[in-house]
Amino acid sequence: MEASAGGTVRGMFTCELCGLATPFTYFGQKPPNTRAIVLLEESYVLKDPFSHDREKFIVLGSSCTVCHKVVCVGTECSLFYTKRFCLPCVRENLDQFPQQIQAELAKKKSAPLHTDPAKR
Amino acid sequence: MTSMKMDDKWDWDSPQCRAQLDEVFFRQHDYIQAGSQDHKDFWAFFERFQRFKAKKEMSGSKDNKYDDPKCSKSRKSGSLDLGLPKEYDARYKINISVCTKDVEEKMEGCGYRRQTQSGPGKQEITDCRLALLHFLDFSQKQSFNKLAKLRHEQRSLPIFHYRDKIVELVKAHSVVVVAGDTGCGKSTQVPQYLLSSGFTNIACTQPRRIACISLAKRVSFESLNQFGSKVGYQIRFETTRTLATKLLFLTEGLLLRQIQQDPLLSQYQVLIVDEVHERHLHCDFLLGVLRALVGVRPDLRLVLMSATINIKLFSEYFRGAPVLQVPGRLFPIQVIYQPIPPEEQASRSEKLDPRPYLRVLQGIDQRYPTEERGDLLLFLSGVAEISTVLEACQTYATHTQRWIVLPLHSTLSLAQQDKVFDIAPPGVRKCIISTNIAETSVTIDGVRFVVDSGKVKEMSFDPKAKMQRLQEFWISRASSEQRKGRAGRTGPGVCYRLYAESDYDAFAPYPVPEIHRVALDSLVLQMKSMGLGDPGSFSFIDPPPASSIQTAVTYLREQGALDVSGELTTIGSLLAQLPVDVVIGKMLVLGSLFNLVEPVLTIAAALSVQSPFLRSAQHNPDCATARQPLHSNQGDPFTLLNTFNAWVQAKGERGGGSRKWCRRRGLEEQRLYEMVNLRRQFKELLRSHGLLEEGSGGAVTPEERRRRRDRLTERQQLHQLKRQHDLQEGARRKVLRLEEGGQGDSSGSDDDNASQGTGKGKKTEGQNLDIQEVKFKLRHNVDQLQEVASASQDLSSRRQALLKLLLCRGLYPQLALPDEHNATRKDSEQIFHTRNKQGVVIHPTSVFASDPEVLHVPEQEDGQPGAGKGQSGRHQLLAFVTLLETNKPYVSNCVRVPALQLLLLVSNCVDSNGDCTRLVVDGWLELCLSDGERTLGVVSTALELRAEWERLLQAQLCKRRPSARDLQHLSDRLVRFLLYTEVNYTIRRLTALQSQNLYVGPQSDPTTSDAQALKTIFPGWDPQPDPIKGGLRVSSYFTYNCLSDPSDLYSECLRTFWTCPHCALYMPFTPLERMQHQASCKPPEEQPAQEESESETAAPSSSSSLSRLYHCDICDKDLTLTSTEILKHKRQHAVAS
Ligand SMILES: [Zn+2]
Ligand SMILES: [Zn+2]
Repeated sequence: MEASAGGTVRGMFTCELCGLATPFTYFGQKPPNTRAIVLLEESYVLKDPFSHDREKFIVLGSSCTVCHKVVCVGTECSLFYTKRFCLPCVRENLDQFPQQIQAELAKKKSAPLHTDPAKR
Repeated sequence: MTSMKMDDKWDWDSPQCRAQLDEVFFRQHDYIQAGSQDHKDFWAFFERFQRFKAKKEMSGSKDNKYDDPKCSKSRKSGSLDLGLPKEYDARYKINISVCTKDVEEKMEGCGYRRQTQSGPGKQEITDCRLALLHFLDFSQKQSFNKLAKLRHEQRSLPIFHYRDKIVELVKAHSVVVVAGDTGCGKSTQVPQYLLSSGFTNIACTQPRRIACISLAKRVSFESLNQFGSKVGYQIRFETTRTLATKLLFLTEGLLLRQIQQDPLLSQYQVLIVDEVHERHLHCDFLLGVLRALVGVRPDLRLVLMSATINIKLFSEYFRGAPVLQVPGRLFPIQVIYQPIPPEEQASRSEKLDPRPYLRVLQGIDQRYPTEERGDLLLFLSGVAEISTVLEACQTYATHTQRWIVLPLHSTLSLAQQDKVFDIAPPGVRKCIISTNIAETSVTIDGVRFVVDSGKVKEMSFDPKAKMQRLQEFWISRASSEQRKGRAGRTGPGVCYRLYAESDYDAFAPYPVPEIHRVALDSLVLQMKSMGLGDPGSFSFIDPPPASSIQTAVTYLREQGALDVSGELTTIGSLLAQLPVDVVIGKMLVLGSLFNLVEPVLTIAAALSVQSPFLRSAQHNPDCATARQPLHSNQGDPFTLLNTFNAWVQAKGERGGGSRKWCRRRGLEEQRLYEMVNLRRQFKELLRSHGLLEEGSGGAVTPEERRRRRDRLTERQQLHQLKRQHDLQEGARRKVLRLEEGGQGDSSGSDDDNASQGTGKGKKTEGQNLDIQEVKFKLRHNVDQLQEVASASQDLSSRRQALLKLLLCRGLYPQLALPDEHNATRKDSEQIFHTRNKQGVVIHPTSVFASDPEVLHVPEQEDGQPGAGKGQSGRHQLLAFVTLLETNKPYVSNCVRVPALQLLLLVSNCVDSNGDCTRLVVDGWLELCLSDGERTLGVVSTALELRAEWERLLQAQLCKRRPSARDLQHLSDRLVRFLLYTEVNYTIRRLTALQSQNLYVGPQSDPTTSDAQALKTIFPGWDPQPDPIKGGLRVSSYFTYNCLSDPSDLYSECLRTFWTCPHCALYMPFTPLERMQHQASCKPPEEQPAQEESESETAAPSSSSSLSRLYHCDICDKDLTLTSTEILKHKRQHAVAS
């Protein structure tokens, strides 16, 4: 199955928290044709469908270092701080994170993660 | 770099310094390359980033308040150690790194790094890297958010909940009906659901071309294939389809044409027919065809998509197909009934009273604060009504400064139509005054108020008058609900209905389907060509009246597309494949015969699109002057031809200045682009049917080779431009200015003062890329077009006459006769009569509306012998393309042509009396001629010319191209006949009563003698008694002596003495007998010449010996006699009895 010019679809990426589902074209730390760029985590990557350039990519998500759930990079689902953490795991271990991160999280409404509208 | 040595300080703003860093981070194969847009964006970002950093450093230790050493140590006992760094750094939040070690080392190795001489030092590289990381992180977030937003929107569509159900149903059933109201997302989502669940080769039909394009764009974006071709569209002139295309949006008409080529549609696995509730002619027919197809192809999946209107009808038609109903997403809408008081209701002749509409605007201003956004959409029935209300609202808007008033209907220029999507400035509302185009075809966001007049103008076909009619009707309840719904797309809304609730209840539930309203000619032709048998017994979802089908069959027979038994003729099967009206198709086929293809292609294309002449510009004196040279008083098709040719020339001369050229003349350039595309499509069709000679091959000259190379280079550049344009598309909407309302420079208003608008129109659109021009150049070879244009620009008067004849033969029987009193009437009161409708007028856009004198019969030239009152050789007819009744019956796109000559050359039925002084054509036109003998001669020539024309045409249609010599000979003779036939006559329309009593009827005593006589006059024909009309049927279209004229009764006795100049025979003769004698008794030297000119039609064998076998019924003997002897013999019996 072909997703877009340049990228062959390897599978479907689905965030275990928000349900965001979209195909991905690469999994790993070194997306093709990016020369000096290296990802600091094993990520699900999609060739950027909004760009005409073949090498532009979007990081969709990766596994939470703590619980190993597959999560998207959306700020409602996870954050990266040297490693990927899903927000539930961040909350669980909030005390280990620096004040700045804690403040950022606090700023976000205590609203729950946006739920899958399909399951509403 | 030399300049940098002077300066020993690193300067971030210096282009040279930046270039050095570009060497490190933005090399040729890097993720971001120097010179790209991303690269520019980076340096812009860099500046912001530096400023941000500087600000943060200024505020000093603020950040340090978080530097709590405890944070990483004092974790709750028992929990996991995440191993996070002790000190916070924003850098840790980025999941990307950039490795440029190799380059940096290389630079160091070359001694590049000279701190003192301002090369980038470690610090600079670090700074730049950090900025780059933040930039990459920022772009990642942007792209991801775009994706997430897209997915979120898809999931919040009402139809999303039914995703699995839909896929399940389609897998299990061959036909499924999906019904959902506006905004439920069915058109964009259902194809994607099927695509992503493994279906492939999906076709989705749309009633409108524009929807095919926009849906393909949207769906390819949503399915993340914006730059691929998995999702494509195909419309009349354009396609983005490739082998990789799995989902194709196309028009209903196009799918029908594909069925003609591929009856099983084996190229598709799934067919989605969208908007079936709109009940377009094509769609109803398509459903009928597909209903039969699903029986033959059980693997085919058919999905019908409809609004929640009359769903049962579709489900039952497809033998109880399952229905999935999806609720729409509409906000609550308050309905207010505000019937128009009787004193403000316009009577039929009057203009619409705008007061009820103005009151709504005032009411909105009083009730809703200006901060509350929300535009107004007002539905009126037609262009004239829009113009009236627009004028009043415009005055109000100028006064209050709170409204921008915009018209919306299909005859506006596209730029003007596009304006309704622009945004009003704060504190100002848009008031869009529209026809029902905004009911379904055009969707405008941000509408909060709807005003519904409850009226619509609909085209209907009057088979009796053979006329289209645009009439005003009450809308249906379904339309009314649709209009109301437009107020609740983006928030709660209000709908003002300018009629009573009781009116609403009395409305018909649904609009009348198109198949019940329009002429079915094209449909019947297509059905015949698809071999669907008797159109009357085809099982339509809602069958049209049998009389409609009969009318169409009769018409097609008249046009020669069907034969007597109702089967397709050769030309008919060709016409069925041309996507145009039958009359236009005929022109194309006729044009291909003579060497007039190029101008005919142009005219056929021009007559198949909307007129490029903007109505409003007609009142603009500058435009009128600039248009003057384009006008042809031969007729509107010639004006269109001139316009097209001049436009093509303008394109070459000014290179891209054609836009200005068009504006100066009040032309909508889009229509000219449509013409050039259609023209090309016609040409390809003719070529694929073997009707065009292939372009002359021959060796390629070096010059030609060079030109081709140049063209290739140019095409590459153009492709580049187009790509750039496509990328920029979807740019944000403009904000309207207050003064932008009104009809502006391109209103399409009916008759009233259209130029009352703001009179501006010098828009500064010159700089931006003219994408139409680019597409044009990509698609067409401009040099070739120009050659063709200049060739058809200066047609000789003879070529022009031939071209006119072809057009008129195509247009026949669409003819109108000028009223005999026109010369004494005012220009605006000229009237004309068609066979089925009296008193039609010329549409004001026609060249003959402003110059009617050219249609008048010139003053009687004196001294013409035998020319009685009203007699002239200069009578003309008007051939027309459309007859449409709005407030009056109008003919438009007219050509003038000599009457007698045209009628003899093209009409289906010419009847004469005994002495040929009276002809009746098609049972409605009576021609009284002063010289019967001469007339008989003219008819004889016409018969011969027609036979030859037909012979060559049939040969052409059977792909046996006639010789150039034969063609040249025929065209010379046709032109001579058309231009130089000198016969004086009167012409008039017969009354209904006269038309009923035309014929003598079958005679008990068939006049065999006449038959014999006619054989001599019309060599090659075999006159037979006509069993219905009486008289003798000479050819399929000419019947002699069948008219029951009072004087006709005595024609047998009307003999006068006459002496033959050749054989000196002196006897009483009827005119026919006299001519017969003359035909057979010619001076010897004339005979061979005549024989040659009529060689094809093989004159009777005895013409050399002058005598032949004659059977006399009275004495029952076979005699060998000359014509004269036959006459003498007959006379004996006459005297004896
Ligand atoms: Zn998520
Ligand atoms: Zn986790």
